[in-house]
Amino acid sequence: MKRFLALILALTMALALAACGGGNEPAAEPPSGETPAAETPTGEETASTELNIYMWQQYISDQVVSDFEEANNCTVNISYMSDNADAVTRLTSGGGDQYDLIMTCDAYMESLIAGGYVEELDLSRIPNSSNINPAYWSSPNHSIPYLGNYIYVVYNTETCPIEITCYNDLIDPALKGQITSIDGARNLFPMALVALGYDPNSENEEELAEAYEWLVKYNDNVVAYGNAEQNLTNGTASVAFTYDGNASWAFAETGGADSPLTVAPFTDDAVQLGFDMYVIPTGAKHTDLAYKFLDYICDPEVMAQNLEEFPYFCPNDAAVAAAPESYRNDPSKDFDYKENVFFQEDVGEALTIYNDYYQMLKVGE
Amino acid sequence: MSRHKPNAGAGELEAINRRRDVRRKTIPALAQAGPVSAWMVLFVTIPMLYIIYVSFMSRGVFGDVVYEFSLESYQTLLDSIYFKVIVKSLQVALFTTVACLLLGYPFAYYIARKPPEVASKLIMLIMIPFWTNSLMRLNSWLLLFQTSGPVNTFLQWAGITSGPITFIYTDPLVMLGLVTNMLPFAVLPLYSTIEKLQNSLLEASSDLGANPRQTFFRITLPLTFPGIFSAVILVFIPSLGIYTVSDMLGGGKVLYIGNIIKNQFGAIRNWPLGAALSVLLLVITGLLIFIYTRFAKLEDMEVV
Amino acid sequence: MAALSKTQRRKRRLGILGDVYAILIYTVLYIPVAVMMVFSFNDQKYNFYWNGFTTQWYGKLLENDALIGSLWYSLVIAVLATVISVVIGTLGALGLKRYEFRGKRFINSMLYVPIIVPEIVLAVALLIIFMNVGLSLGLGSILVGHCTFCIPYAVVTIKGRISGDGYELEEASMDLGANRIQTFLRVTLPSMVPGIMSAAFLSFTLSIDDVVMSNMLSGARNSTLPVLILSMNRTGVTPDVNALTTIMILVIVAAMLLSNGVKALLRRREKAAAR
Repeated sequence: MKRFLALILALTMALALAACGGGNEPAAEPPSGETPAAETPTGEETASTELNIYMWQQYISDQVVSDFEEANNCTVNISYMSDNADAVTRLTSGGGDQYDLIMTCDAYMESLIAGGYVEELDLSRIPNSSNINPAYWSSPNHSIPYLGNYIYVVYNTETCPIEITCYNDLIDPALKGQITSIDGARNLFPMALVALGYDPNSENEEELAEAYEWLVKYNDNVVAYGNAEQNLTNGTASVAFTYDGNASWAFAETGGADSPLTVAPFTDDAVQLGFDMYVIPTGAKHTDLAYKFLDYICDPEVMAQNLEEFPYFCPNDAAVAAAPESYRNDPSKDFDYKENVFFQEDVGEALTIYNDYYQMLKVGE
Repeated sequence: MSRHKPNAGAGELEAINRRRDVRRKTIPALAQAGPVSAWMVLFVTIPMLYIIYVSFMSRGVFGDVVYEFSLESYQTLLDSIYFKVIVKSLQVALFTTVACLLLGYPFAYYIARKPPEVASKLIMLIMIPFWTNSLMRLNSWLLLFQTSGPVNTFLQWAGITSGPITFIYTDPLVMLGLVTNMLPFAVLPLYSTIEKLQNSLLEASSDLGANPRQTFFRITLPLTFPGIFSAVILVFIPSLGIYTVSDMLGGGKVLYIGNIIKNQFGAIRNWPLGAALSVLLLVITGLLIFIYTRFAKLEDMEVV
Repeated sequence: MAALSKTQRRKRRLGILGDVYAILIYTVLYIPVAVMMVFSFNDQKYNFYWNGFTTQWYGKLLENDALIGSLWYSLVIAVLATVISVVIGTLGALGLKRYEFRGKRFINSMLYVPIIVPEIVLAVALLIIFMNVGLSLGLGSILVGHCTFCIPYAVVTIKGRISGDGYELEEASMDLGANRIQTFLRVTLPSMVPGIMSAAFLSFTLSIDDVVMSNMLSGARNSTLPVLILSMNRTGVTPDVNALTTIMILVIVAAMLLSNGVKALLRRREKAAAR
């Protein structure tokens, strides 16, 4: 039945394409028949000439990429995702083998490994990976962390009615309609859980219920989810719960060091630190270049050059040391609780509880 | 419903005719309806069957689909929260449809009464803005109405308001976004049917003493009913699933059915629930169309 | 006599009212486009607020191969999807209108599915099926996705147009000795032109602006422009995208004016020749 279906589909596709003059796509790879997730990839030893990467837009320096292309005599095709879930959908639906490197984040790693969607890495082929701080490396056998983001609070000292030193300040009624916030169940609930003194990756339903009650108050103060830097710079909001990278732009747009913005001086509460990491999807076709690229990007000089353009938090200590002054003096990185962090973990089954409460929050009951 | 004439003629002749009919009609019928049927079966029926199939499966611990029969997803749907979301989504879709019809009908009428060369240009003029990215257009509204944006600056400069007014992330802006996004889907089918209206009919009506209002309600409106129904379908149904507008202009504070389905296939990775919600949406729309056919004539329905 | 002038006056008044109304609607439709164009001259890295005039983004645009490539890709897909959808849609509208066959009701209701179901659902389902069958993602898969939602719109629009027409003209044509294909090309098709035009417009519009389907079904090598813009949502849209969209719209408008001009010229020649 499946074969038959495949035949009809292939025929129609061929007809559709033939009818319109062939299209301009290079000849498609021959159908690999059944594509179960666990096909063992033997890194072809003939050098590949192309590398396909799926990652965030505006997250890697063009210069860095073109230097790699030149050094290895290859083409790097980067396509962009708009949501972390995009990458996971690609991997889990069996479309991962279209790429050689895919960017994903901590929260999904456990399920991706369990499902056999990503290759185990041979770290001896990535000697530069020794530059990465092990504290920030959650799954060293399957991923190479690239850059990271703090999710913290930034506020405008001139327009914000109160001083903010902990998450509980965010549910102060004085902030009604003042907060611009990032969205998503797995970003909002950890904040509430920390504010209440629980584990940020809690799987306990009662704790999550309490967190929900907390978020209802928070939701009242939120003017908009998303667009944090825009809302902060144009005066729509005076407080932002956002990524440090986005805060960095908001600082730059509002006068850099003279900006009225400040990173909230948190005293006790931990903030979330998340990493975007590269994985090699199961069945990737150009693993030789993928390894070369991973090693290349872990090179301190290369990463330092990249940081100049993309001033995100970097887990590569040697690269940070080599980074330009501007990176280390960025006002968005000027806060003293950098070590007091927590990571997002895969919560498995409990994700549905998160989701149920998240929906209740947004539907209004 | 069917076009068969009552069997009055002699049987034998009838049989010959029928056989000739089959030959005369089968080939063109196949050539005309064949491609569309094949396409729909391959790329709509099969994927949708798969979705229905998945909706009866269960979610694995790691967000994969476990192929074991389960009614879990449908039991989840009984939660009152989904009822609220559906009602909310229906309200928005209804509002958008009514607004687009009320604004679009006179507009389509205006265009249809112009000479054909002018009309085709006017129609093009409607479509041109839609060849720019919808996210960019929505963002334009934000830029225009934001706290330190041109509109606020102007209002303060002109002395109409003393301080900035919060326009963005409010319901009126969301409605503006919805209506401007969906309007062409109402205008195009309306234009198509109004344009077909024969002037002679309207003239006859007024010659026979009907005033313009009578002509409109007795002649124009009923005759353009197919277009109105097309417009309702083309606006109402997509509006049910829409979420980008409220996400961008409303600040993402409200979830609609579209958001929830998207999240199930994305961040939450509960495909069976996402599939069950899609099936629910299908059933609701099917029901609406069914209700419609109870009230209106089937001939009008045929336009669909 | 007096009554006539009264209706004439009334008509004129209605005409002016109509003009004003139309201008108002067009204004609202064009405001976002105008704002978008203005902000392509914004001297700021991201379009947060107006910061001063510059034309630098147009220069930078020329260096941005990814952006230009994605626009080209979008245009190719939109044109192909429009052609396929209109051809299949026109034939389908006729077939579904005129012939009774088994499964017609079924196909009719299937047409509504892509309109009803949120795009993401169909996109995910198509993705999984393509993956299972072993088709690689790329132009072909995006094209199939786009046509799948364009064809129903095309059929609905065109069917709305032909609902009133009978067979009389066609029968007359056949009686006069034209064969079936001649009749189709010379009689049936011309009467459907407005519907076909609307369908083509709709298909092109839907395809060029599609995000969800393209995002799911695009391959590793190319992205369409809307997918690229969507992927900027984490950081904000840069003014060079505004510049690109501005150029794109100007090019399309210019192309349309040109084709209109050529058409008008041909028509004038034809008339002259006829004389």
